[in-house]
Formats: sequence, structure tokens, C-alpha cells
Amino acid sequence: MSDTPLISLPPAAEADLVRRLQARDESAMTLFYERYSSALYGVIFRIVKAEDEAEDVLQEALVKIWHAFASYDSSKGRLFTWVLNICRNLSIDKIRSRQHRVGSRTQGLDDSLTAQRQAAPTTFRPEHIGLQEITQKLIPEQRQIIDLLYFEGFTQSEVAEELNLPLGTVKTRARTAIKVLSKLIR
Amino acid sequence: MENIQDYIESGILEQYALGELSPAEQASVEAQAARHPEIRTELQQVQEALGFYAEAHAITPPAGMRERVLGNVMAQIAKPASTLRADVDAVAQANSGAYVSAAQPVAAAPEAVVRPISSAPVAGPSRSTWAMAASVALILSLGANALLYTRWKDASSDLVALQNDQARFATTTTVVQKELGALRQENEVLRSDEFRAVALAGTKTAPTAHAKVLFNPATHKVYVDVKSLPALPAGKQYQLWALDKGKPVDAGVLTAATATGEGIQQMKDIASAQTFAMTVEPEGGSVSPTLSTMTVVGNI
Repeated sequence: MSDTPLISLPPAAEADLVRRLQARDESAMTLFYERYSSALYGVIFRIVKAEDEAEDVLQEALVKIWHAFASYDSSKGRLFTWVLNICRNLSIDKIRSRQHRVGSRTQGLDDSLTAQRQAAPTTFRPEHIGLQEITQKLIPEQRQIIDLLYFEGFTQSEVAEELNLPLGTVKTRARTAIKVLSKLIR
Repeated sequence: MENIQDYIESGILEQYALGELSPAEQASVEAQAARHPEIRTELQQVQEALGFYAEAHAITPPAGMRERVLGNVMAQIAKPASTLRADVDAVAQANSGAYVSAAQPVAAAPEAVVRPISSAPVAGPSRSTWAMAASVALILSLGANALLYTRWKDASSDLVALQNDQARFATTTTVVQKELGALRQENEVLRSDEFRAVALAGTKTAPTAHAKVLFNPATHKVYVDVKSLPALPAGKQYQLWALDKGKPVDAGVLTAATATGEGIQQMKDIASAQTFAMTVEPEGGSVSPTLSTMTVVGNI
């Protein structure tokens, strides 16, 4: 499960990085940046959709990761999962604090989906062939739900409301989509 | 847990992984995961699947971001150390000034980090000596940290500079090697016995003009080596001609560098010739020579 090619660090290297961060070794942050910045920046950028804001959030996230490192518990999950959640949460906070998000949710969704589609050809530069593969393996309905949940910060009930679907359907689609992704790494 | 499968299928693990749950609900999921290996494995799979999805969207950050972000992060995470240092400095100064009554000056610096030691109830000379020793050790250690941090920063900018230098040297080397190759070739031509040197002397229009053609009848290679030619009017070029049984054959035009005598130039291959001559032609050369502009000529 851990010898997948895509997840950033092999377990031994990750454990070493965790030890150095726990020992408050500042130089470990450089290594951390080398290993994770593309993945983290990709997620942040997909959520905030602006380069300068994405940079601010990444910086904020790195500082937070450093200061909150004592609360990371490797028995609960991988370092990558933990830092991803920090970045996602900061990014979602960022878009929620924006003025135009105060308006109706429907407006926001339409805006963001349109923006996403238009932004794709120029600013979206996936590094891995994985994305292509995923696009083919996930049916559009599954991908839409995963994107809303993961990159737009919607809850499952919000997705259900937004797409006019029963909550049960949303839950099933989300679970199936995640199962498909799971199979891709195995 | 009544039914682990029901719990897994309820979708709560996905909600946990997506950060939708309240802290209490999160704690409950963590407790279930700690108790049941099936739940733990399932949760791990969900998290890795989402991590994989995230990573599939990786984007290389824009140029220059690494320095900005890392620089700011390093400055921010290094800050507590410098405030600490200032506090310790204050304490150290106070301690060295009033060695015996260490507790009072320390109380005057409420931010002091080492306060718990020196303001302890049994504060006496030996305690404050220890406090001072600890302070000194801390200062030394912080000083060393600051120094190492500076050196580390210097080292990484040095590295970038060195990498740039290396790239520049690599380019220079390529250029030099190319030039060296050209010079070797010229040298071979000049030293070869197979090449016949044909001296081209100035005509009436340019009596002091002088050039040399190197012709290899076996390989048909032709080189030209200019000693001195009159400067050209704008838009004109010297063109070399081979005369074979009185018929002029184009041997190519001379580059500006060749015409000023900077080096020898390989011309078009010539199968057979008895005479070589040079004329002034419009840039790019002519199909047949403008005989009135013949500048140099010479027989083999």
C-alpha cells in the first residue's frame, strides 16, 4: 500500500523527515518543500484559483505545519495526509472568507465550475500521468462530486442540495469514486 | 461495534477524510479506527486515495516562488529564537551586574525566559551562578545557531551561483570546442600535401590585393585565404570563380570575416580548374562573373 509510485515519500524517508521536524531541525523545512510543494501547491491552487493567493496560503501552511508539528501523530496517518488536510483547510477558509462567496451558493458553484473549465488549458499543468488515467477511470458524475467535495470544500449535504440529488446517492457516488481511486494505486 | 461493515458503508470515513466532521465525531472515528483493524485499513485507503487524487493535480510552483516562500517561512519560524535570545541577553546582563541579588533584576524583566530558575524561592549565589552559566550556554548555542543558519543560507545561495557558473562554463566550452574543431580542420588543410596553393594577385583595379586559394584536385575541396582585399561598398560581396577551360564556375561568396582576412573559408567543391579569380558581386553572388570588377586572379 505504501510502495505506490505516486505518494511523495517512501515510508523510511518520511519517518526521517518526521524525526527531523520533531527535533525542530529548521533545515528539514527545505527538504519538506522539495518533496511536497508541487503536490500542496497543486491542491491549494485548485481551491483558491489564483497564483498569488495560492502562494500566500502555501507559506501560511508551511509556518503552521512547523508550529503545529507536535500535534502530528504518525500512528493516525501519513505525514502527507496530515499536511494535505492543513493546506486544504487553510485554502477553504480563504475562499470562504472572500466577499463574493457571501452571495448565494448556486452563484458560487456556477462561477467556480466555469472558472475551472476556462482556466484548465492555460494554467493547469498536471505533472503526473495519473490525472489522465483518473479522468478516464472516473465517470464524470463521480469526478464532479469528488471535485466539489475536495476542491470546493462542499459537505456531502451541500453537494446533494446543489446537484439536486438525494444525500444517499451523493454518499454512494463519493464512496465509489474513492474506491476507484484506491484501486488505481494498488 | 455491532456491524463494522455498516459503519464503513455509512460514509463516515469519507467525511472524516474530507474534514467534514466535528471534533467530537472525529475523535469517535479515531477511536473506532484504533479498535478495529478493518476500519483502520479502510480509513487509510480512503485517505491514500484522496492523497493520490491530490497528488495527481500537482503543479510545479511558478519560478521564484521557492526562494520567496522558503525565505519567509524560515524568517518566521526562526523568529522565536531571536526573541528568546534578547530575553536571555537581558537576564545575563542583569545577572552579571548584580551577582548576589539575582532575583530583583530578573523581576524587572518580566518577559525573561529563564525566570523560573532565578526567581525560585531558594535563589542564592550558587543558583544564580548556575543560571548565569545556563544563560551563557544558551547564548552561545543561540549564537551558534544563528551563525549556522546564516551559513546555511549563504551556502544555498552559493550553490545557486555555482550552478549558474557551471552552466556558463558548459556553454563556453561548447563554443570553444566548436572553434577548436574548425581550427583543426583549417590546420589539416594548410598542412596537407594534397592541397595546391594558388596565389591570386591583384589586377589593375586593385594592384595591392592578394589572396590564396587552396585546391585539392583529388577531393575537389576548395579553401580561400585572404591576405588583403579592398573594402567593399555596401551591398556587395566577393565571389570566387573557378575557370575550367575558360568557362567560369561559381565557387561561392566570401563571408565578411573571410574577406577581411580573419580566417580561411571552405568554398564550393570544384571538379576541375586551371585558374581562380575573384569579382565583386551583389550580395548573395551572381550566376556569371562581372568581369569588370575582377579583383584578384591566379593560375594553378
